[in-house]
Amino acid sequence: MRSHFDEQLAQLNKELIEMGALCEEVIALASKALSGADGKMAKKVASLDNEIDEKERDIESLCLRLLLQQQPVAGDLKQISAALKMITDMERIGDQAEDIAEIINFLDGRTFENDELLREMARATIRMVTNSVDAYVKHDIILAKEVIKSDDVVDKYFDRIKHELIDKISKNPDDGEYAIDLIMIAKYFERIGDHAVNIAGWVIFSVNDTHTEE
Amino acid sequence: MTKKIFKSIVLVAGVVLLASIVIIMGVLYQYFGEVQENQMKDELSISSVAVEEDGVTYLSKLESNRYRITWIKADGTVIYDTKNGADTMENHADREEVREALSSGEGEGTRYSSTLLENTMYCAKRLSDGTVLRISMSRASAGALAFGMIQPILIVLIVALALSGILASQISKRIARPLNDLDLEHPLENNTYDEISPLLNRINFQHKEIKSQVKELQQKKDEFNQITSSMNEGLVLLDNNGTILSINPAAQNILETDEYCIGKDFLTIDRRHDMSIAIQNALNNGKSEIRSEINGREYQFDISRIQSANKTIGAVLLAFDITERELAEKTRREFTANVSHELKTPLQGIIGSAELIEGGMVKPEDMPRFVSHIKEEAKRLVVLIEDIIRLSELDEGSAMPQSEVDLLNIANEVKNNLDETAKAKNVSIQVSGKNVVIEGVKRLIYEIIFNLCDNAIKYNKDGGKVDISVSETESNSVIKVKDNGIGIAPEEQNHIFERFYRVDKSHSKASGGTGLGLSIVKHAVQYHNGTVTIDSQIGKGTEITIAIPKNK
Repeated sequence: MRSHFDEQLAQLNKELIEMGALCEEVIALASKALSGADGKMAKKVASLDNEIDEKERDIESLCLRLLLQQQPVAGDLKQISAALKMITDMERIGDQAEDIAEIINFLDGRTFENDELLREMARATIRMVTNSVDAYVKHDIILAKEVIKSDDVVDKYFDRIKHELIDKISKNPDDGEYAIDLIMIAKYFERIGDHAVNIAGWVIFSVNDTHTEE
Repeated sequence: MTKKIFKSIVLVAGVVLLASIVIIMGVLYQYFGEVQENQMKDELSISSVAVEEDGVTYLSKLESNRYRITWIKADGTVIYDTKNGADTMENHADREEVREALSSGEGEGTRYSSTLLENTMYCAKRLSDGTVLRISMSRASAGALAFGMIQPILIVLIVALALSGILASQISKRIARPLNDLDLEHPLENNTYDEISPLLNRINFQHKEIKSQVKELQQKKDEFNQITSSMNEGLVLLDNNGTILSINPAAQNILETDEYCIGKDFLTIDRRHDMSIAIQNALNNGKSEIRSEINGREYQFDISRIQSANKTIGAVLLAFDITERELAEKTRREFTANVSHELKTPLQGIIGSAELIEGGMVKPEDMPRFVSHIKEEAKRLVVLIEDIIRLSELDEGSAMPQSEVDLLNIANEVKNNLDETAKAKNVSIQVSGKNVVIEGVKRLIYEIIFNLCDNAIKYNKDGGKVDISVSETESNSVIKVKDNGIGIAPEEQNHIFERFYRVDKSHSKASGGTGLGLSIVKHAVQYHNGTVTIDSQIGKGTEITIAIPKNK
């Protein structure tokens, strides 16, 4: 019985890592689409997002099965409940990446004049997601805390982009719609960063005793 | 074992005890029964004599609780009974023993009274007057006797069982102790029961076998580790769940992990989606291949399934660094594209001129100019092809005839050959230094100096100069070609040795070069294990130093 339980826990761990990997890939793709928009990329992102959704359902049912059949306590219970929370955040990351890809599709190939800034923001976000998944894989609290800290960096990028776009609109009001699209993309990246912070928080919870959110 | 021995001993003791009690009781019962009967018979014959003498008087005087004597008439009427009043008793003629006595003189009988649980034995004898004297005696039945004996039997049983229990526990412990104290590490050194010595021998044998097998396994494992750790390719062994069984140092480097990942899932060290798919594919279909970039280097991962008896037991993952190969492939592709382009340009010129001549568009006085243009282009083509051939020779790395070469002589030779070109550009060439002789390929050395010098003239200013100096240090022979020409920008300096690279991007033929000269220089110097260094400043000039080690 116990060994079956351990097997299921290992399976849960494996599937979570896979889902994390999918998230990393989906935002990497979305940010790639940012620098060279093409319609195929958006389709790929959408299919990856579907895969993420499917994975979420799989993990969810696995967690519920574990809770019902094994009635875990202490550390195991913590791990499973953290997993349940984490997949929600991961699923949101997938959705937001899909939204980014969709908006990029609307841009019709136009790119941000100062897109280096947006790309840097995307890179920072990807790093956050990668680190949060890494923190989960290695049970690394220090790395998780680093992720939580680096949210400020992404937030600052968002502010900078916002100011630049405000400038842009005031100089060239015709570009208003375009600027709004860009601010949405930036906002989505910022949200993805927040989800990465949440994941890191749950990693700390599952390793430590408390759920800290600094 | 102790328990079992204990139980058996107690059980045996109990059974033996019970059986002996039963047997002894049975035998004794029988024996005493016979003794009693004989006594009764004796009493009867004494009584019968006495009764014949004294009649009732004797019987009334007789006081006995053990016997009961009844005097019965021939018709069965009781004359006297020592226990009951004679008148109260019924006729006894139908009693078995009385009947027998009446007919044959003596009779016996036994009757069982279920109410008293007693056997009553009767003996009867006919007296001389025809009356019968009967004696009877009661005796408890075997069952009743046993019932009566229950208490002492139980006491005996309990005492015996307690005794046997104590003894049994002692004995069983003593029997088992040598077995418990067996030293299984050194089975042959035990001195216990002979019965288990085959077992001990067997254990000893298996000990030895296990030891040798462990040693063999360790040896094989060491061999495997030795081989895999010195491999340049990354090697990872996975079981069919994707758990890492073994990972060699090269793979640890590539995947940026350490040996502590052994026993964990492969996902924990590389969770990329396409990698998991490739591994899954390999487990399902037998083989898969994936190329991916890690930290700026290109790797190829070959994953194969391992099967045993038609069951998938895992997968082996081999990682090769294909960065260089990819780069070489890319260079070759680019070279081919460049060569085609470079070959096509002069041919276009030739075709163009020829078409004009063919179409009669060229005035007779212009004819020599066109013909010489065709000739020039054709010459350029030949030079280009020669350069390519030389370069591919160098690429092949085939051995070329070595001889003693005097660098200064060659420098002078180059100067003589290029004098004309130099004069045309109003550039002067000076050769200085001493005679330095090296072991090398004369043609290549000539190419090196010629190409450097040629470039120094081509990319020079009007009235510029070119210095060729030959010298030697302790370890190197050194050729320096210095000009005061246009110089090379620092960002270009890394690229000038690439094939077909030109500082002026127009590929103009104004300078007449093929773009292969410095590439040939680089390869020729490499052929001699030498090094090329550039020191150049825009507008001031360039100094290129070739150092060829003396001892190859």
